[in-house]
Amino acid sequence: MAGIYVYSDQSRITAELISFARQTGAAAFALCFSIEQAKAIKDFGADKVYVLQGGSPLVENYGRAVADFLKSQGADLFLVGATARGRDIASRVAGHSDCGMVSDVSSVSWTEGRVSCERLMYGGAVIQEELLSGFCVVSIPAGKFEAETGESSEIVVVEVEADNRVILVDTAPIVREGADLSAADKVICVGLGIEKEEDLQLAKDLADVLGAEIGCTRGISEERHWLPVEKYIGISGAAIKPQLYISMGVSGQVQHVVGIRESKIIVAVDTNEKAPIFRAADYGIVGDLYEIIPLLTRALKKDL
Amino acid sequence: MSKTIVCYKWVKDEADIKVNPDLSVDLSKAKGKISDYDKNAIEAAVQAARLLAGKSIGLTFGTPKTKQSLKDALSRGLEEVCWINTEAAAEADGIVTSKALAAAIKKMDDVSLVICAEGASDTYARQTAPRLGALLQWPVITSVSKIQINGDILSASRKLDDCIETVKVKLPAVIAVLPEICNAPIPGLKAVMAAGKKPIAEYQAGDIGIDFTSKSQVSGLKAYAMNRKNIILEGDTSEKIASLVAALKKEGVL
Ligand SMILES: Cc1cc2nc3c(=O)[nH]c(=O)nc-3n(C[C@H](O)[C@H](O)[C@H](O)COP(=O)(O)OP(=O)(O)OC[C@H]3O[C@@H](n4cnc5c(N)ncnc54)[C@H](O)[C@@H]3O)c2cc1C
Repeated sequence: MAGIYVYSDQSRITAELISFARQTGAAAFALCFSIEQAKAIKDFGADKVYVLQGGSPLVENYGRAVADFLKSQGADLFLVGATARGRDIASRVAGHSDCGMVSDVSSVSWTEGRVSCERLMYGGAVIQEELLSGFCVVSIPAGKFEAETGESSEIVVVEVEADNRVILVDTAPIVREGADLSAADKVICVGLGIEKEEDLQLAKDLADVLGAEIGCTRGISEERHWLPVEKYIGISGAAIKPQLYISMGVSGQVQHVVGIRESKIIVAVDTNEKAPIFRAADYGIVGDLYEIIPLLTRALKKDL
Repeated sequence: MSKTIVCYKWVKDEADIKVNPDLSVDLSKAKGKISDYDKNAIEAAVQAARLLAGKSIGLTFGTPKTKQSLKDALSRGLEEVCWINTEAAAEADGIVTSKALAAAIKKMDDVSLVICAEGASDTYARQTAPRLGALLQWPVITSVSKIQINGDILSASRKLDDCIETVKVKLPAVIAVLPEICNAPIPGLKAVMAAGKKPIAEYQAGDIGIDFTSKSQVSGLKAYAMNRKNIILEGDTSEKIASLVAALKKEGVL
């Protein structure tokens, strides 16, 4: 049936996408790949929940199957949660459907078969508006719409064929430690300006005094592996909205800054007075973090 | 001989973007660069080609300006580059880009592996690898942080939001690699000199035979407005610290 079809590997995003689809006035259908997932998403008001079953444990292996299914249904639009897996399957479906796709939109509307949306370009420095018409795919990050609950949706199982050329050998869950950065009230952010892993202690001491969480730039977790990946902030990492953000040794490239823009107050400490972080900051101290941070910690300890 | 193709993009450097007071964007002064993470992908291709006892080839789809990238790409250890040279690339969206790249790949024989980076630093749309898989009808693995090659079997670790997945596939395949796959060393003088002598294949739009019309129409471009106080604290170190603590108290954020 015509309408908006949605998929996410996270139920929370599926719920948000169903809610958006319903607001447009179109019929809203949710896709998933197991009865278990279907049960998790059946109470968010979708007209139907389709379970595509084809025996593969990898969602990505259903790219062609989803494209064929959407075509046979006469779908108007396919919305996908922009997670790592979601972006992958969304692009496959776009490829097999020979249609347009917009990735990671920051806002989107759909009227009379036309998508109008905005997305960030150049690491977040620029906002681009795009228009598409006809069937297309849009990937949308978490948190763009309010989820709603609705009557229990009918669950329909559809047998499809998976592409089994990629074989799953093993899955190891990533265990998350500490608090969720996106909910933190204060964040101390460590950049590549710190020299050794032990020096993270400087950030920890400051964080203890302030009751802050520790975050970092991408290089600290992905190149140096000093902090887990969920601690890095930016366009490909976490987006944060604390009252206070303090950076140390962070140059402030746009890909990082885009993740801190919602902070109330931004403080930067960096030796390079020309570092772009100072243009993104409310208060800046040009100086050596090894000197400034311990003194700041001491001053706050005395004061708080 | 087995070929490993790495797709890379010549992009405008976001650090050179000028923002006008009305928030319109001036890209005219922006210099070009090989997209940051494509450099890691190029090195990954050089290493993979070695494991496959074959050749590594760079493939880029870009406007005439992309010519500047060819020597840089070759100095990174690739043995050849192939350039689809057309003005149409400036307006290309994901569908056009992937069709152009796929068309060039189909012209080559014995391709074992196609490598893309995680995403380009300008659009960061992350569509190319999965779309290429669909067009070439090859299997695809994205978010790859590590690979191993044994004969014609490639195993990959995928770093996803909540797990690390190990998968395997029989080649040929398309993979999209994360920058942590390997470092991207700065080419030495010798490599730069050698690059000038390496072969370059060039295609024009007509050789590629695809429809270059994008499905997605760009209807506006503006800079993100960043309104911050931009106060640099002055004085000696203890004065700077005291001013900062006072300011943070006044803001009510302590
Ligand atoms: C497609 C794409 C996506 C990306 N996504 C992200 C992302 O999500 N998040 C992210 O963070 N990055 C991301 N990046 C990388 C980003 O462009 C920057 O490279 C990165 O943010 C830089 O990290 P940094 O500031 O820690 O390091 P650097 O840029 O190396 O900066 C280090 C800073 O430390 C300062 N310093 C050195 N010593 C001292 C000292 N003793 N005291 C004080 N200051 C000192 C230096 O002056 C410098 O300013 C992305 C890049 C691309 C291309």
